[in-house]
Amino acid sequence: MGPDRYPLTRAQSLALSGASLLLLLVATTALGPLIAGSGWWWAGAVVAVAVIGGGAALRAVRTPPSLVPPLELVVMLLALTLLFAGGTSLALVIPTAETFAVFGELTEGARRTIEQQSVPAIPVPALVFAITVGVGLIAVFLDLLVQTVRVPALAAIPMLVPVLVPGLFLAEGADAPALVLTAAAYLLLLRVDVRVRRAAELVQEDDRDDAPVVSAPKRAPIVSTMGASLGLAAIGLVAASVIAAATPSVSTSFLVGTGGPATLFARGVSPYVDLGRDLRRPEPVPAFSYVSPEGERPYFTLLTIERLEGQVWSATDRAVDGDNTLGTLPGPDGLDDDVLVEPRPIAVQVDQVRTAWLPVPYPTTEVSGVSGSWFWDQGTLNVRSVDSTTLGQQYRLTHLDVRPDVTQLRSAPVPSPGAVADATRRLPEDVPPIIAETAAAVTASAPTRYDAAVAIQAYLRGSDFEYSESAPVAEGYDGAGFDAIAAFLEQGAGYCVHFASTMAVLAREVGIPSRISIGYTAGTPGDGRVDDQIVIEVDSHDLHAWPELYFEGVGWVPFEPTPGRGSVPDYSRPNAGQTAPGVVPTGPAATPGATGRPEGDPDRALGGPGGTASAGAQAAQLGLIGLAVTLVLLLPAMIRIGVRAARRGGIRSGERPADAAWRELLATAVDLGLPVDPRRTVRGLAAELAERPAFRADPESPPGERVEARAALERVRDAVERERYGRVRGRDAAVDAESVAPAGAEDLERARRSALAADLEASSDALRADAPAVRRVAAVLLPGSLRPSARVAFGRPAPPGE
Amino acid sequence: MSDTEGGVGVAAAMEIDEVGDRAAAIVRNVETVISGKREAVTAALTVLLAEGHLLIEDVPGVGKTMLAKALARSVDCTVSRIQFTPDLLPSDVTGVSVFDQVSRRFEFKPGPVFANIVIGDEINRASPKTQSALLECMEERQVTADGTTYHLEQPFTVVATQNPVEMEGTYPLPEAQRDRFMARISMGYPATADELAMLAQRETASPLDSLEPVVSLAELRAMIETVQRVFTSEPVKAYAVDLARATREDRQLRLGASPRATLQLIRAAKAHAAMHGRDFVLPDDVDALAVPVLAHRLVPTSRAVGGHDHDGGPLIDQIVRRIVGETPVPVGSARRE
Repeated sequence: MGPDRYPLTRAQSLALSGASLLLLLVATTALGPLIAGSGWWWAGAVVAVAVIGGGAALRAVRTPPSLVPPLELVVMLLALTLLFAGGTSLALVIPTAETFAVFGELTEGARRTIEQQSVPAIPVPALVFAITVGVGLIAVFLDLLVQTVRVPALAAIPMLVPVLVPGLFLAEGADAPALVLTAAAYLLLLRVDVRVRRAAELVQEDDRDDAPVVSAPKRAPIVSTMGASLGLAAIGLVAASVIAAATPSVSTSFLVGTGGPATLFARGVSPYVDLGRDLRRPEPVPAFSYVSPEGERPYFTLLTIERLEGQVWSATDRAVDGDNTLGTLPGPDGLDDDVLVEPRPIAVQVDQVRTAWLPVPYPTTEVSGVSGSWFWDQGTLNVRSVDSTTLGQQYRLTHLDVRPDVTQLRSAPVPSPGAVADATRRLPEDVPPIIAETAAAVTASAPTRYDAAVAIQAYLRGSDFEYSESAPVAEGYDGAGFDAIAAFLEQGAGYCVHFASTMAVLAREVGIPSRISIGYTAGTPGDGRVDDQIVIEVDSHDLHAWPELYFEGVGWVPFEPTPGRGSVPDYSRPNAGQTAPGVVPTGPAATPGATGRPEGDPDRALGGPGGTASAGAQAAQLGLIGLAVTLVLLLPAMIRIGVRAARRGGIRSGERPADAAWRELLATAVDLGLPVDPRRTVRGLAAELAERPAFRADPESPPGERVEARAALERVRDAVERERYGRVRGRDAAVDAESVAPAGAEDLERARRSALAADLEASSDALRADAPAVRRVAAVLLPGSLRPSARVAFGRPAPPGE
Repeated sequence: MSDTEGGVGVAAAMEIDEVGDRAAAIVRNVETVISGKREAVTAALTVLLAEGHLLIEDVPGVGKTMLAKALARSVDCTVSRIQFTPDLLPSDVTGVSVFDQVSRRFEFKPGPVFANIVIGDEINRASPKTQSALLECMEERQVTADGTTYHLEQPFTVVATQNPVEMEGTYPLPEAQRDRFMARISMGYPATADELAMLAQRETASPLDSLEPVVSLAELRAMIETVQRVFTSEPVKAYAVDLARATREDRQLRLGASPRATLQLIRAAKAHAAMHGRDFVLPDDVDALAVPVLAHRLVPTSRAVGGHDHDGGPLIDQIVRRIVGETPVPVGSARRE
């Protein structure tokens, strides 16, 4: 790092630390759009202050520079202990084994919450912990770059993290003001650095009269700072565009996600496709079991899809509202007092299903006993978590058994404009004509909206359609887009996904707000009993999708258009009795039949992060982002490798092989942080390098014994001296060549070059062997020889033939 | 270039490695007399091989004359010594024409300057006129007396010693005359151990008496011939010029290095390279000789001198070292085949 490395005064060092701290704090605000509130920022700020302040203090007491980063990590650990695990620590900051257990839980929780939350995320402790750790690590890295390596321009690299991350989740990226402020703070840091350098130079000039010492180049550092900044800015821009280009479909659902079902169906994979795929799995897996003291057996909703748009239908893009905590939920939309409603308690024990969505019947009014942070969703009353999963949960809920009678439904008025979400009414403009035609034909004779709904259900349950899990796949219309519905209407074969979505769409065609719920049918009574109550087992066979239609005064009521699945609600059979519970339980009869029974593995299907498809997709995204970030971080290393390869090529076949070898050797030394003064001669630099322990003979060995590495270093030195200043190139080879055939001259030249390459290797290895491991890693990841100021030291060959 | 490739194959010259060996032998030989002064001994030998003249400047009694004598004795060549005194006349140096009663002609009696190595002791004690006579010989390498020119034998090297100028009874050498010396060195006081060793050594007799030549005159000439053939690449020449130019532009210097200084710097560097067994000059050779070759020619500004010795000796050395440190070393290529 050589020429521009002056010893700093404490004030100068503090100024640099202050500027880097400011930069970090400002850059962290760029995460603002991702996380609600500001508490997380303060936690990060505390750790950042602790780390950078601690580093400054350590330097003030003359701690060896190589020790500062590790000690900063320790400071960070203490700060984290204080903030997140004070109760388990000694004297508030000394971590104990228990502390690390807490950290482990927080890390796991952070992983889950990152997978499950949408933007802006609720700052649950685990998330704040993750952010704080990240800020702390960035602070250590930043301090390393600014103070230890003394390349403040590279501070842009760690700052890319908070600046770029919002761009991954939000179409508009980080806030413009945050970006501008970050850039300003970065420039301030550079400015401080330049001033510090200038001050250091002035000090040296003042010294010159009394004690002339080798002084530093006057302009190079500033030039190099500017060059490095511009280069990094370019790298940042390229990286941002690469990430943006590489993850077009990722940007709204990765990690935190913006859509409700982002977790379950991340990356836009249709829930229907997943559901269908898992229905086709042969092995059923227990999902959950429940006890209903009053014998009630409702459908359990996981999530509700309201928006029927585009190729991928998703739940309404609605962020988790941090105020909607459990356990009391609001009453359902549109339910009038005159409808018969009975609250039913249910106790649920989740077995193996793992998802961020809690299976609850619609409408549920109360949930208690779940662990983790769970929130209900306005309108759909879906219950989802930001930091935990359903796995192993035991909870009690109270749900309303809504039993409208036909008259009430039939007399339901046209829903008022604000009664339900717009998304539940909307149809895109390019709906295939067959859908409108079918809707018109089916409901032609229906006098009311209710009758139209009943007619659609009857039509789909009629002989024109058959239940088939394989047909849609075979015919290529698996999924839930409008094209799939059109194909389904023509082919007449599909499974619950097709029936449910078709009914929802047909209902919208005739003006009934509709939505699609995904969850489980009522399940099967098992052998177990709790308090004399039969435990009802729900397994992967019961995975299901069904439409819900809105009737003013009654609210959302489920229908069952899928033949052979679930049960048809009484209120949807105007000719039958209507006093039965809203959803009639299906018995074991619903086990797999010829066509009627899905086989599947909903545990995996709706397993959320644990599920195969979505987890795989997410892993792929993570991999992609990780790859992109890794590539950016590895960019300097890759450039360095390229430069090294070019120089090796120069040794093999270039005009000036020794010069290439020498420059590579010096670059290695610079990478390792050894001082390389560009004004020194080859001999002087070689002598300085030869002072490294690896080049010195073992003190035990007899005097005069030469270390091979040193001999190699001297051979490289002699070669470059001869090449640069000697009479002709390759004199020795030429002289020797006189005694052999001309062909031998070429061989000799080749041998000379390969010997040179070997000597270079031996010397470089010795240099590396001396360096501490941290230096070696830094040499690979952040090679200092790429800095313009370093390159002038050895990278500027004079014009040939002068 | 190809006919002299490697500096070998010419009868009068010597293998470059041999030059190194012989030089080392001379240095070793001199060091039996003057221990702990490797730098001064090497510089002196460098000047001898480069056919320059050497000025040894220091306080009395540190071995200036001893060095000059030891160097002269180590080479089997003619040596003369002139003790400069205020009343020394120019003819005492160059020689005098005397009337031969027998032949009835004026006959030239060569002075002490007719030798391979001339030791001029305390040169600054002589009058300027006498100094000039010697310095003229140094530059011209010939003596003109009564209209006849007598060439001095090669090699011809003057090793002059002088006391610091502020000593009593001295006439300081003018800048123009200092410029004639290729290099100026000072001896410095010996280290304690060396001084003790010297005491033991000289208790009985002068060690100079037992000093034997290790190089013959012919060999010395061959060495000088080889030195002249040492190759100086363009970048190194440019480096020497850069150094000289830097001294002229330095704000602490009133008088910079002359072009003659540049020339002598390169010549000395060639000798230095040859002494290290190298047939080409490195920037390091130039660096090593910058202080002895340049320092005595430079005059600091009075502002720079403030607080320093009147003659600015150590100050000048520091300035030269600083200039050497600041001047970038060329990374040029040698001439192509």
